[in-house]
Amino acid sequence: MKTSSNSEKILHILVDRKVKPGTFIKAYKRNNCNSDKTINYFLNYKNLKFEYDTYDPDYDFTRNNWNSSKDIIDFVLRNKIGLLSICDDDYPDILRQIHLPPPLLFFKGDRIKKMEFSIAIVGSRKCTAYGKEAAIYISKNLSEIGIIVVSGLAAGIDSYAHQASLGGKGGSIGVLGCGIDIIYPPENKLLYDKIPENGSIVTEFLPGTPPLKSNFPVRNRIISGLCQGVIVIEAGERSGAIITCEIALRQNREVMAVPGSIFSPSNKGCHRLIKEGAKLVDDIDDILDEFSIYTGKIFKSGHGNKFGNKKEKVNKKYDINLSSNELKIYEYIGYKSKSIEDIVKYSSIEVKEVLRILAYLEINGLIKEDSFNKYSRLF
Amino acid sequence: MISIDYAGYIFDFLHKYIYHLFMIFKLDSFTLEGIDAVTVSVEVHLSRGLPEFTIVGLPGKAVNESRQRVRSAVINSGFDFPVKKIIVNLSPADIKKERSFYDLPIALSVLAASGQIQSEVWNKSYFVGELSLNGDINPVSGLISMAEEALNTGKTFFFVPYSIADQVSFISDIKIIACKNLLEAVEALSGRGKIEKFIYKSRNIADRHFCYGFDFKEVKGQFKAKRALEIAVGGRHNIMLVGPPGSGKTMLAKRAVTIMPDLNLEECIDVTKIYSLYKKNVSGLIRERPFRNPHHTISRMGLIGGGINPGPGEISLAHRGILFLDEFSQFPRNFIEDLRQPLENREIVITRNHSSYTFPCNFMLIVATNPCYCGYFGNDSKKCVCSLREIKRFWKKMSGPVMDRMDMRVLVDRLPETSFVDTEYGESSETIKSRINKCMNMQIQRFEGRNIVYNSEAGIDTINEWLKDNKKIRDLISTVSRKYNLTARGMTSILKVSRTIADLEASISIKEHHVIEALNYRVCFNYDNDSDAPINFI
Repeated sequence: MKTSSNSEKILHILVDRKVKPGTFIKAYKRNNCNSDKTINYFLNYKNLKFEYDTYDPDYDFTRNNWNSSKDIIDFVLRNKIGLLSICDDDYPDILRQIHLPPPLLFFKGDRIKKMEFSIAIVGSRKCTAYGKEAAIYISKNLSEIGIIVVSGLAAGIDSYAHQASLGGKGGSIGVLGCGIDIIYPPENKLLYDKIPENGSIVTEFLPGTPPLKSNFPVRNRIISGLCQGVIVIEAGERSGAIITCEIALRQNREVMAVPGSIFSPSNKGCHRLIKEGAKLVDDIDDILDEFSIYTGKIFKSGHGNKFGNKKEKVNKKYDINLSSNELKIYEYIGYKSKSIEDIVKYSSIEVKEVLRILAYLEINGLIKEDSFNKYSRLF
Repeated sequence: MISIDYAGYIFDFLHKYIYHLFMIFKLDSFTLEGIDAVTVSVEVHLSRGLPEFTIVGLPGKAVNESRQRVRSAVINSGFDFPVKKIIVNLSPADIKKERSFYDLPIALSVLAASGQIQSEVWNKSYFVGELSLNGDINPVSGLISMAEEALNTGKTFFFVPYSIADQVSFISDIKIIACKNLLEAVEALSGRGKIEKFIYKSRNIADRHFCYGFDFKEVKGQFKAKRALEIAVGGRHNIMLVGPPGSGKTMLAKRAVTIMPDLNLEECIDVTKIYSLYKKNVSGLIRERPFRNPHHTISRMGLIGGGINPGPGEISLAHRGILFLDEFSQFPRNFIEDLRQPLENREIVITRNHSSYTFPCNFMLIVATNPCYCGYFGNDSKKCVCSLREIKRFWKKMSGPVMDRMDMRVLVDRLPETSFVDTEYGESSETIKSRINKCMNMQIQRFEGRNIVYNSEAGIDTINEWLKDNKKIRDLISTVSRKYNLTARGMTSILKVSRTIADLEASISIKEHHVIEALNYRVCFNYDNDSDAPINFI
């Protein structure tokens, strides 16, 4: 993998000259996005003093373990990591439009160079069974029709979104909050190795940067910046996903939310977004409708029959032969969770029989235990 | 002639004199090595010289101090304490003697050596007992082990403290002489035929009623946990209860003893034997199943057993009963690992540099834990504040071999208000116990002639037998294991539990619905599936 001369120069400015990325971008924009002019401006004038800007992202490249930018370039070349600068043609246009785009991107996997229509899926790290199903369903179907799924490579919703979208045409892009050589959380090692095959892993942080708490809000602006829209699945009232949505709105992106149970605290954030005007998503069509300008052009062909599998899901319960007792319990368990005690009392069936039926329904994927000893329907 | 008579007179005189002055006397007592008793002879030698009272033969602190107790007890019982040089030897001299067994034998041998009592039963008897200063005989530990050893050596009488004589009253082959104080012991020994008066009458142990004071019917709701405990006790499966604080984990675990089958005589003896090592005042045979609930600040020796004079730990005290480890996550990890071997072998061998001791520990393990540090993970009434990383760390501590030995994992939630105000009682312990008795009988019949008693102990051969002519089950197991990503151990657990469920229904073969119910107790909490956090629904 080669690095462009522009990116090497920018790395030199940021690392050796200790210029803040925000400062660089502002100069870049002042110079009407003329790369040579900006780079020369920083290279020719030494001891420039810059005003501190409160809108700068709260990070800089001064705190790092690298002696010089040359070391970083050596490291990058040795480990087959790509380096993309804002001055390169391959830099995603959509990202260039945001306030303070990252001047440099380290990446693995080439999908980032050919960015097309993409959607971000964000959500809770501690998701419920429902959130998991929703994330998998949505990202799988999006990827199958060629939409790139962008997410944050965190645990929970993020990792399910990546997993499900890797199989499809669209693939997935993971945006890291740490250096590209650091795997965080460690459980995602497998995903980390797999994503570059059908997508890419991207970060603006220098190699070796630890996953600091402050990195994540900064990373979130890239997630939303890379996409046309953001879908939120299961977000608590004050969560990283909600921050991403606020950034997305500032970046003029569409925000959509998947609703959940009104009784579950893990959906409060999503519901607030819907109240404030986010589009409610309960199928892929809702997402495509929102982007009819794009989808009309790109995804017109074969759209109708791509979602055959969803109808299968709805009819699933009729495929399994349920006995009268099983049906009685299945009908009783609504979409709001019911405890075993309630089920026993309602059905007046023996406890052991109820337990057997619940396990049977669960094995067949009709119900799910969504908190201790409480079951709700999946379909 | 005169000279010869005179010489004979002197000889006679000297003989008697010497006989009295250099008297040696010997009787038998015991010491404890681990759970086993070993015969110890108490030898006393009175000789002329400066008055002195010494005990040799590796006496411990308590044994050494017995000099003072013996002296006071002898004097206060109205005897003379010889003003002689007294040497007491406890033989074999190379075994360390601890505890206060030797007060009574030392006192009696001193009295005998000084000619104050004579008896014909000295070498037919064993003696143990601690003396108080006024001559009363206080209880000692390890009485059953000693009685068993006494039986082996074929002696007739065993002198024991009166207050704990009930412990050994079931033994009919040896005569238990229960004495309240030193005077009684002397009376029993010296009077002709008087010893019969002191023989302790054995009581019929079946007469004694016991009651645990709590019952399963007091538990409201928690149907799944109750059913799971029934199965767990039925097949002696180890079980883990997971739930938020206040969900009734401890209450449930405590009641598991009430549904265990009653101890038979042999088991009673086993249990009492261990308890009599642990505390002195065990008034009779213990008929209740032990329920041990050690706090997590317990020391390693306290849990496993050991110490300078190795004694039983909590795992042995829970022998034939239940060991309940509440707040399992708070136990240090190495303690948890220590449980592995005892769980497998049903006994613990404690090896110290001089010898090794074996204690039985055939217990059923119940552990209870919160689902995370804050305690509310997976609970919909209160939100958990732990991060996913913390939750994983929490569970990582418990992963591995000990988790593998948990055949059943059950989630227990807080009781909803509707169940709490429900005044109907559930099934009583008696009802459940009768079902479990039947289940046990099935197992005893099945495993006759093998080395195992419970389903949970079944090895791979036995499980293969169950599966052999049962294609339906084989198919079901393979489907299920693929779906839930079960390991071999996970599948084995499910099969063992389903066998117990089938036994509870008195079914000869395992049916599909048994396996499906068994899945309930494994899959909801499947640590083997490590792609996610331990609890499936996050």
